[in-house]
Amino acid sequence: MPASCEQEITLTGDLHARPAGALAVAAGRFAAIISVTAGDRTADAKSVLSVMGLGATSGQHVTVSAAGPDAQEAVAALVAILSEATKVGG
Amino acid sequence: MTTASVGIVLVSHSAELAEGTANLAAQVSGGTVTIVAAGGTDDGDLGTSAAKVEDALRQADQGAGVVVLPDLGSAVLTVRAVLEDYGTAGSILLADAPFVEGAVAATVIAAAGGDLKAVAAAAEEARHARKL
Repeated sequence: MPASCEQEITLTGDLHARPAGALAVAAGRFAAIISVTAGDRTADAKSVLSVMGLGATSGQHVTVSAAGPDAQEAVAALVAILSEATKVGG
Repeated sequence: MTTASVGIVLVSHSAELAEGTANLAAQVSGGTVTIVAAGGTDDGDLGTSAAKVEDALRQADQGAGVVVLPDLGSAVLTVRAVLEDYGTAGSILLADAPFVEGAVAATVIAAAGGDLKAVAAAAEEARHARKL
């Protein structure tokens, strides 16, 4: 029985290459299907190029959604990375 | 992850391009993956070097295989010539991918623990990623 989970976060910095990389590396370690939505665009969280292509900027609301056995842990981990990693540029 | 990650070899006609792309991919992926640049000729000119490619393959192989990205089609000739003589060709995949995007995407998947096929697929799928 797959679980699903979703959480919104407001970015405190732009989603540049390094935070996008940290997000995708972390996402790749989960079995769940994970997506990141910013505005009207949605990216596969495991694809760093897709996440960078969101062009998400400081102050924007971003939603992390996951479906799968470890969905809750995945969303918690990625939201933590987004809140930390977007504090610094890159 | 306790197991070794897939290594990445970047083969470019330009030493600076290979080094710069390796630095970028390392920064984006967190620095845990072995990325080896093989750029330029043995004399430091623009071109490719079979000796540099062979050295890079040996350095990059941590036991989980190596994905090789060429910058332009003619680098493929050099890589193929090296692979013909290289012992463990089964653990090396040559990826048909855009150089910068492919290197970044492949390295991120390697850092996340992806296997050889997954890392090569990430590089090749980079062709379809939109920037705008």
